[in-house]
Parts: sequence; structure tokens; C-alpha cells
Amino acid sequence: MNKKSSRLFAEARKSVLILPSMVLLLIFFVTPILLTVYYSFTNLALSGENAKQLKFIGLSNYVSMFKDRTVRISIVNTLVFLLGSLIGQQVLGFLIALNMRNRNRIFRGIVGPVFLAGWIMPEVVVALCCSTFFGDEGTLNQIFSFFHLPTVEFLFAIPMATVILANIWHGTAFSMMNFQSALDGVPADIEEAAKVDGAGPFQTMLRIILPCIKNTIATNTMLNTLSTLGVFGLIYMMTGGGPGTKTLTLPIFMYRQAFISQQLGYGTAISMILLVIGIVLSVFYTRVMRKD
Amino acid sequence: MYWKFRKTVPYVVLTLLAIIFVLPLLWILLASFDGNASQAVKMPTQWTLDNYKVILSSQTNQRAFANGLLISFGQSVLVVLFAGLAAYPLSRYELRYKSLFLYTILFMTSLPITAVMVPVYKMFLTIGLYDKTLGLILFLTATSMPYGIWLMKNFMDNVPIELEEAAWVDGASTLASIRKIIAPLMFPGICVVFIFTFSGSWGNFFIPYILLQTLNKLPASVTLYQFFGQHGMIIYGQLAAYSAVYAIPSILLYILSQNYMSKGFNMAGAAKG
Amino acid sequence: MKKMKKVAAAVLASTMVLSLAACQGSGAKTETTAQGKTEAGSGETGKTAETPGTGGKTKISITFRDGGSDALKNWFEHAYETYDKKDSIELDIAPITASEGDYFAKVALALQSADTAPDIVCEDTFQLPSDVAAGYLTDLSGYLKDYKEWNDGTYYGPLVDGVTYSDGSVYGIPYCTDTRGLWYNKDIFKAAGLDKEWQPKTWQEILDTCKVIKEKCPDVVPFWCNSGVASGEATSMQTYEMLLYGTGEQLLDENDKWIASSENILKSLNFINTIYKDGYGPSLSKVLNGEAGNIASREYLPGGKLAISLDGYWMTGNYKETGSAPWPEYKDKLGIAAMPTSEGQKPGSITMSGGWALSIPQLSDQKDASMDFIKHCMSYDIYLDTIIAQGNIATRTDIAADPTYASQPFMEKCTGFLSGAFYRPRNSQYSTVTTHIQTMVESVVSGTSPEDAMAQYKSDVTNSVGADNTVTK
Repeated sequence: MNKKSSRLFAEARKSVLILPSMVLLLIFFVTPILLTVYYSFTNLALSGENAKQLKFIGLSNYVSMFKDRTVRISIVNTLVFLLGSLIGQQVLGFLIALNMRNRNRIFRGIVGPVFLAGWIMPEVVVALCCSTFFGDEGTLNQIFSFFHLPTVEFLFAIPMATVILANIWHGTAFSMMNFQSALDGVPADIEEAAKVDGAGPFQTMLRIILPCIKNTIATNTMLNTLSTLGVFGLIYMMTGGGPGTKTLTLPIFMYRQAFISQQLGYGTAISMILLVIGIVLSVFYTRVMRKD
Repeated sequence: MYWKFRKTVPYVVLTLLAIIFVLPLLWILLASFDGNASQAVKMPTQWTLDNYKVILSSQTNQRAFANGLLISFGQSVLVVLFAGLAAYPLSRYELRYKSLFLYTILFMTSLPITAVMVPVYKMFLTIGLYDKTLGLILFLTATSMPYGIWLMKNFMDNVPIELEEAAWVDGASTLASIRKIIAPLMFPGICVVFIFTFSGSWGNFFIPYILLQTLNKLPASVTLYQFFGQHGMIIYGQLAAYSAVYAIPSILLYILSQNYMSKGFNMAGAAKG
Repeated sequence: MKKMKKVAAAVLASTMVLSLAACQGSGAKTETTAQGKTEAGSGETGKTAETPGTGGKTKISITFRDGGSDALKNWFEHAYETYDKKDSIELDIAPITASEGDYFAKVALALQSADTAPDIVCEDTFQLPSDVAAGYLTDLSGYLKDYKEWNDGTYYGPLVDGVTYSDGSVYGIPYCTDTRGLWYNKDIFKAAGLDKEWQPKTWQEILDTCKVIKEKCPDVVPFWCNSGVASGEATSMQTYEMLLYGTGEQLLDENDKWIASSENILKSLNFINTIYKDGYGPSLSKVLNGEAGNIASREYLPGGKLAISLDGYWMTGNYKETGSAPWPEYKDKLGIAAMPTSEGQKPGSITMSGGWALSIPQLSDQKDASMDFIKHCMSYDIYLDTIIAQGNIATRTDIAADPTYASQPFMEKCTGFLSGAFYRPRNSQYSTVTTHIQTMVESVVSGTSPEDAMAQYKSDVTNSVGADNTVTK
């Protein structure tokens, strides 16, 4: 009896340092999440009768969501955006990190910050830079005209591709840094041994390097996924979710339903989808990481 | 010949990529000094400081910047402090609930904040934190906490416990060993967390947009967003100048952290030796 | 052990201090906010925290949408300058800079808390029913009993009726109304060989005119109608409803149910689709943003880049000397034609009419002072100045008779449209349904087929108002 209670006490004493964080998290994080779940079962609204007195409507919001075509479209858009960004950022980040190895220090000192700049920039600035870059009279179109190619209304003709490119520009540096430190950890002698055995550069990369940095790839993918899921500002400022529903991802759809159409209850039901996708993906990744 | 070719390929590839990456940024630089800025990157026909003058002399903008700095700085300090404290037991002690806690924290990092804005708004309304800067700071701190704790714990794990044990033998308390041994060695990690948190909230416009109402409490991120789409024809020159000024704190912080990062690595060497 | 206790104490203390600071003031406020809310529910005036002004003056704050023109700001400032109670009342001008859609959202957010609710707020009349149902606004009927002009017919009858509920309660004083039509650039018409006096009788005639313009003046955009979600209510009212009501159908049927799917809806969508498909409309990048209306009226139309714009009378406010895009020759270069019904059927032409009102939030603590200031703002001379500067149609009949006002270019014709104008449904769900209309129009413009767009509209409306309140024709 004594041992158990004294162990508990000892643990409690040690955990005291975690207390402030826990309190903060409980009030400002956990409670809103619980409330999100609760509100998704109500018809809460921003204005109108339902703003005064919300009603518990059970699964009604979820049933509507199931029948709503726009929900499906926004889930697809979210996944497309996610996949496009992930692949772009990882591949580009890896290529850059790979090529940066053993280069001239001055060269690295100039080129490195260029890539990093995109990551350091706040979201609003990224949205602005990319909007003007891809704009009708923007830099990219100017380059096209220079080469006598037809100009493209990027944000309206291929909006999803454009916002994905913007996100890649924004986030590649993060992957690049992770891969750089991972590559530094690849023992040089294994690579040397492979070369001596006659392996070409591609084979070396596939068979030796990639397996060594497998963990980093997994962590990097997970971190990027989680942050990309919630992207709102970048897309909203560049296209507003449009034209139509072409770049309507779940966060933007939720915003439109909750704040513009004033259907807070329905909006939170939509954010539940976002939460669920996030949880599923992070469970998936932690399993993959645990395997090693 | 082949060898020379092989050697230059990476340089060429990287240079090309760098050029593509730098173009959008170049626009900000050039357009902000341009009296007649347009959407494209071009050499200004009229070099001028007017854009900057207009932006910097506006009282609204000055207040917005001050607000933004207060909010982001306050939030980052709180995150480093609380996450650092929380990371200590998680890194050093054997606690039964540790893995549960850590994985719950991990889940939390997956939750997009935009999803919980509705109940947060309602909650803030009820407890009287709506339209209060302190409320905003607390909320931003809480939402950055999971990531911060995770990062801090990982950095702390890299500080060898032997150093602390040496200090304990000498009679140091837990708090003292945190302050004198762990914090300095973890400094690069602290910087990373600080910068990450700062940039996250410095650039975040949605949360302040929803949680703040009064004009003179709004941070620069919201003002830039409003500027972006609102008044009549978009004045590109001023927009670029605003963005340039707005990006400066992020850039400064990064440069500062680079300096400290290299110092930090030297100290880590001391542990190995 | 001792040290750990110290640590624990320090940590707990700092947590407590922080939470205290957070709750500081919210202790009292929580009570009053909660109290304010429940009392608002029962329709009485709620007791709220004081908002002290400087130097002992009471402070009134007034909120409106800043859309790039100073007309409203000037109105309130000028009214304050001539206000006889200036010494005891301080005015805080607090506009919200946002697109239309965001403005309504921000207002709804602000009205729910005593700290953030202004004392006077500008509401688009369509938003009134839902804000009233939510309990956000004060019933002004008590004040109106001794407001002479309200009761003696000075205010335009249909507007007064429009804001008065069956139990006699009134929640806003309308300060402007409007009509809409087809504004066209006479120079471009002349260059295209068209008659400078243009009055199309059917939708087809509009399309035919566009075709001619496109052939003869290929650099000109033939037709502009606001089509995006970003332009908010402008898309619903200036474009969609001008078309729908021109088919003879309305948004609600005779049983007050929302028509979620019908031939006439399809017809209206097809018109919009044709405009864009056949290249008569502006490029998407220009029209699908929050500035679309301003781009059309302030840049394209006066600049000779646009032939026809489906817009409202207020547009002319831009062209005055004091406007945002002064155009001295506008009264000769600009023409106005009534929007025809789809096939020219009775009544031949239609217009939607709306307007804005001054309301007092339920959670305001300076209602008496605010009402007094509102009356002052609406007094003859001050109101005359502003309504001319705004370029809007007055809500007072005596102003309508004033020669300076009445002689404004196009005023007579546009006021003439008022008789027979249609108003939006006074239904608390309109503010939600209108966002679905905007989504529908934008999707047609972005390439979705009208049938699919209408199907989505049906689904959206059914979700929001319930299947019992929708009907298919």
C-alpha cells in the first residue's frame, strides 16, 4: 500500500513541471476539440433563430454531409493538395540536399538561403509573392511571352496545380534541411564500398542511401502531412477556394459554411472530417515509425 | 570530360532551381522600390522610397506591427518556457503515462487549428476572452504547445544525462540543472522552437482575424490580408513594401539563430570530450 | 525535496497569475454578458458594462463596411460636427474593412459580446431578419413613437413597411435604397454602330447586342455582371435575382417555401452561362474577386473597356467630383436601360430594390444617445448631403423632391424604377440561402453545367433550411 501511494506521489511530484502546459492544453486545446464534437451534433448558427437557441439534431449534419457533393469534392481536393505538396516538397528537398553535399562552401552559402527564404516567409507574404508570380501579368507569364508561348491564367485555368506549386515553394526548405542532416549521417565508407563494387550513382542512391535515411523520410512525411492538412491562408488568399470549387479544400469549405453561410453546426461537422483524417494519418505514421 | 560534366551537373541543377525559387522574392524587392510597380519582376523605371514611406508612416501600420510583435513574441516565450519545463520530466524521468502522453501530444499536432475556430470563438465569448490580446496569446501558445513539447523533448534527449548527474553530485537542484546545464546546451533547440513558433504565429492571419475585433488590436498579418484584397485598385508597390517590412522579423530571427546555432554545436562538442 | 516544492510553488504561482490575468475583468463581464444574452432573448434591454469615453463623455461607436469610399465616414463625421450634443457625446468611428461576405460574418461575431458590439451598426436590409431572429438588435419602435418623420409619411412607405414587423417592432432605420439596370457606354455603342438610346425588350436582345459589340469592338468586354462568391450579395442581387425575378418566378413560392429547383432557375443560369461561354463576359481573374464591382465601375466602364454593366444606381456616385473615379462627362457618355424580363412579358422590365439601415445592437449600452444621433444623421440637410455623395436613392420622400437631389443625372429614371420593384424575402434564412446562390452562380461561371449547379443549390438549400421548407417546381 505504502509503495504504491508513494510511487504515485513521486510521479506526481516529478510531473509538476508538466502542469502549466497541461492546464493550458486542457483549457485551450482539448476543450475546443470536445466542443467541436458537441457542436457538430447541433444546428448552431451565426445568425438567425439558431443563434439564439441551438438545438441538438443528432446525426443530421453527418447525414447531410454524406449526401453533399461538395463535401466529397473538398475531401478529394484536400488529398490532391496534400499528395502534390508532399511529393513535390520531398522529391525536390531530397534532390537539393543530395546535390548540395560536398559542394563549394560559398556556393552553398548563396544557394542555401535562397531556398530557405521561401520557408521563412510568413504565409501571407508567400501568398502574395506567388499570386503576383503566377498572375495574369506576372513574372511567369512575362517569361512565357518572352519565349513566344501563350500566356496562362494560372490561378483560374489550373488553380490546384498553382497552389500546390506555391506550397512546394513554401515548404521545400524544411524537407531539404531534414534530408541534409540525414544524409550527413550516412556513413561515407558504405558509399565508398559501393562505388568500389562498381555501383552507379543511381544504384547507390536506391540501395544504400535511401534505406539509411528511411526514418527521416517517414518523420518528414508525417510532419509535412500534418502541417499541410490545415493549410488555409495560402489557398484562401490566392484563390479563395475557387474558381467554383476547384481549390476548395476542407479548411476553406469549413470556413465558408461556418462563417459565410453562418451554419456553425454544419461547419464543425466538416471540421470533424479534418480531425479524423489527421488522426488516421498520424496513427498510420506512428505505426510505420514503430516498426523500426 | 565525363567526369567534369558529372561534376558540373549538380551546380547547374542547383543554380537553375535557385533562380526559379528566387524570382517570386525578387518581385518583392524590386516592386517595393518601384514607383510604378506591376505584377511582374522588372527593373523599376522609377526608383523610389515612397512606398516604404507611406507604409511606415501610417499609424495603423505601426500599431499593427507592434501588435504582431507583441503577440508572436509573447506566445513564443511562453511556448519555450512551458514546453521546456514539460519536456524535462518527459525526457528524464520514467513515468508510467509517458508514452500515452507523448502519443496524445502527437495526435494533437495533427489537428488543424482552423477546425476548432468555431468552438474557440464561442468559448472565448463565454469566458470573456473574445477580442482580448491576452486571450489570443494564450490560445496561440496552447496550439503550438504539442509541437513545441515534442521538439523540446527530442532536443533534450540529445543532452547527455551524465552532465546533469555531475551537477547533481555537486548539489545542484533540478531547476538549477535545467537552467545551467540543459538550457545552454539545448540552445540551438530552443532557438528552433522559438523561431518555428514565432513564424507560425507571425504569419497566421486567420486566428487573429476571428478572435480579435477592435481595429487597433489587429496584428500586421491581418492588416496585410485586408490590404491585399480591399481598397480599389491594388497598389503593388506599397503591397510589396509592406510585405518586405513584414518579412524582416522572420529573416532577422533566422539569421540570429544561425549565429547561436554554430555556438551551440561547439558546446555539444564539450560534452563529447 | 525542499527545492522541488519551491519549483512546484513557482510553477503553480505563475499559472495562477496567468489565469487570473486572463479572467481579469472577465469575472464581471461574464456575468453581464451572460445576463445580456438571456435578457436579449426576452426582448428587454440588457444591462452591460460601461464604455466610458474620454473626459467623462459618453462614447458611441459606429460600425459600417469600408469598401474603399469615404462617403459613409464623411457622413458620420459631418453629422458629428454639427451635432448639438457634441460636448457630452464622443463618436468612435470603427469601420470594418472586409469583403461583403466577410463583413456580415464579422458583424455577427461582434454583436454577440457587449465588449465588441458597437452602438450603431449599418446593416444591409436583407441581414435584418436573421439578426433580429438571433436577438442581436434592439427594437426601436419605442423611440419611433415620437419621431415625427417616421410617422407622417416622410419616409418612403414601402420601405417603412419593409422594416416593420407584424407586432409593430422595427429594427432599423433605412438610410438608402437602390434600383438596378443596364448601364452602358454610349461611345462604345456608337463605335459599334448601335443606337445610342438602347432599351432591350428581352434577354435575347441583350445577347444580340453583345454579339455585335464583340464583333465590332473586339478589345471591349461586352457585358459585366458580378458573378463570384467574393462579391457577395452583389452577385445574388445584381445578377441572379435580376434574372430570376425577370422570369416571373421569385425565391419563395406562395407558401413561403424556397424554390430549390425549377425551369426558371435553369433559364437564369443559362443566360449567365451563355454570357461567359460566348465570350461576352470579363476574364475570370477580374470578376471572381472582391473588387469586381469596383473594377467594372471605376476602371472599365469609364475607361472604355466595358460596354454594358448590370449594376445599381449607386455606381454613379463614383463619377462625381467627390467620387473615387471622377468622370466629368458621365451624364452624356453613360446610358441607363431598364433590365427586361426574359421574354418581354409583363411587367416588361424589373428591378430589385434593397438598401441599408442603421440599427442599434441589443448589447449596446448607449441606446438613447445612439438613437438621438441616428435621428440627427437622418435630418434633412445632413442626409441630403450624404445621399448625394453616396450616389444612392433617398429613403425620405421630401429629399426626393429636393431640386439638387432630383436633378442628378439618371436619378429620375432610376427612381422611376422603384415603382414595381421587387424586394428580397423578409426571411431569416435569406442570409444563408444567398450564399448558396453565390456559390451556384460562381460554379456556372467556372465551368459547371447549369443543371449540376442547380442540383448542388438544391442540396445546399435543403441542408440549411430543411426539406420541409423547400419545394421543386
